[in-house]
Amino acid sequence: MSRRVVITGAGIVSSNGIGVDEFWRNCLQAKSTVAPIPEHWTRYADPHCRLWSPLPEINPESLGIARTERLQLDPVTVLALGAAREALERAGFSPAPVAGSSRAFALPGVNSARTGVFLGTGLGGAITFLQNHTYHLLRKPRADLITYAEKQDPTGDRKTLENILPLMTHGTRFNPFEVSMVMPNASAAAVAIKFSITGPNATYCVACASGTVAVGNAYRAVRDGIVDIAISGGCEYFADEHGHIFRSFDVSGTLVRDCADPATANRPFDEKRSGFLFSQGGAAVFVLEELEHAQLRGAPIIAELIGFAETFDAYSMMRLAPGGGQIERMLRAALADAGVGAHEVDYINAHGTGTKNNDETESEVIDRVFGKSVLVNSTKSLVGHAIGASGAIEILVTALSLRDQTTHICKNLEAPLRDLNFVRTVEPHDLRVALSQSFAFGGHNAAVVLRRFG
Amino acid sequence: MNNNVQERVIKVIAEVLERKESEIPLDASLRDNLHLDSLKQMTLFILLEDEFERTMPPDDLMGIVTVKDIIDFIDRKLQEPATP
Repeated sequence: MSRRVVITGAGIVSSNGIGVDEFWRNCLQAKSTVAPIPEHWTRYADPHCRLWSPLPEINPESLGIARTERLQLDPVTVLALGAAREALERAGFSPAPVAGSSRAFALPGVNSARTGVFLGTGLGGAITFLQNHTYHLLRKPRADLITYAEKQDPTGDRKTLENILPLMTHGTRFNPFEVSMVMPNASAAAVAIKFSITGPNATYCVACASGTVAVGNAYRAVRDGIVDIAISGGCEYFADEHGHIFRSFDVSGTLVRDCADPATANRPFDEKRSGFLFSQGGAAVFVLEELEHAQLRGAPIIAELIGFAETFDAYSMMRLAPGGGQIERMLRAALADAGVGAHEVDYINAHGTGTKNNDETESEVIDRVFGKSVLVNSTKSLVGHAIGASGAIEILVTALSLRDQTTHICKNLEAPLRDLNFVRTVEPHDLRVALSQSFAFGGHNAAVVLRRFG
Repeated sequence: MNNNVQERVIKVIAEVLERKESEIPLDASLRDNLHLDSLKQMTLFILLEDEFERTMPPDDLMGIVTVKDIIDFIDRKLQEPATP
């Protein structure tokens, strides 16, 4: 009999809160943070979308990260470290400082060689790359332009140049740590360095499915006896100084178009949906653990992971294949891996982006595979789309829903595009088996299956 | 030597090395006594750039051996205009 895998800890940094308790409370109250994009971004471009979901103010030191460390970490890694620390503490571990350092920790009682880190991210340290590139590109020309402007007539060319110069902003240096900050594996490496974890260390760059694929592979590693504990989840951070990454998604036509009413603009699975809500980013990290290992140390158990599968469309970089044949194959494989039938699934946390293409295909496949009675919601209807972190955020919601036997609503759903059992009110449910699925640019499809524990 | 500069430099060195300020003597060699490796040295000079608002290109740091060398270097740097 294969080993059973349970979630014993979780941590999160998201636009709906820092920490699992605040996040989950806000989700159940259908709260969302939707705000206008930074005004100065519109000085560089004229985007169709004018909304995003920003993160709360984050103090890295409150996440246990010193100033000297922060210099060497992209913001995405700061988020991952914060979520990982919370997950470990919630799982009952007490990180103890390594001798001679206040910044590195060991996990007493943990066999570090039998512990692994499996994290997903879409773009890794893209912010650092853009910051350094801006400095590389603009510092010398800007300095030359300032010198030139000072020699011009104050009411003529100088005035024109003084209007242009503020747009040529750049950081104060070319960060010498750039390579180790930008590389996508930096977050997983930083978590393992921080907590002295010497087992397998893997990074999954699978765009919007990164978090789900990372947790799925961590689940397999624990189930198959490669490790006893896996620190796993997803992370992303997209707020570059000039709004470049936002523009990338905007010009590709994926973001919310109808921004007239910020409160209702983000509406997955609704007939009036117009794209996804861009998230500043986030991180959700779990401690996955072999069941007996967890029980021996009296760890709290949130839910059990029982299945995972992934397939690939081989169709288009940016569009789901019509009909969702590979999604269906993925779902049936995940159910087989979990040893449950489609009729046993009580709740699906959908990918639910709010784009025309995704929601139409996804709802069609859910109807075909699971029928109309399974509960369905979209966590992106609350927190927007945090790309590489989204799958992990949604697995957290799925696990908490199983733990608490309730889940959040599918916000702003007024005219469902299909007759499915979308969650419209927060109420008690009998949830035994649930599934969280993600699809990604490139053509990736993945899902994990979870079961109520106890 | 500017005492204010000295205090601020030692505070930053102590932060980078995770040591007490009292453990940073002026005549200590950064490399041999304080074991400041190349990565920590980069961190140190980034923090000093921020602290004193002056750029400190690597080429300018040649010849710095002791804590006092850094303080003297910063004293000289402070005669230059602040980083824009």
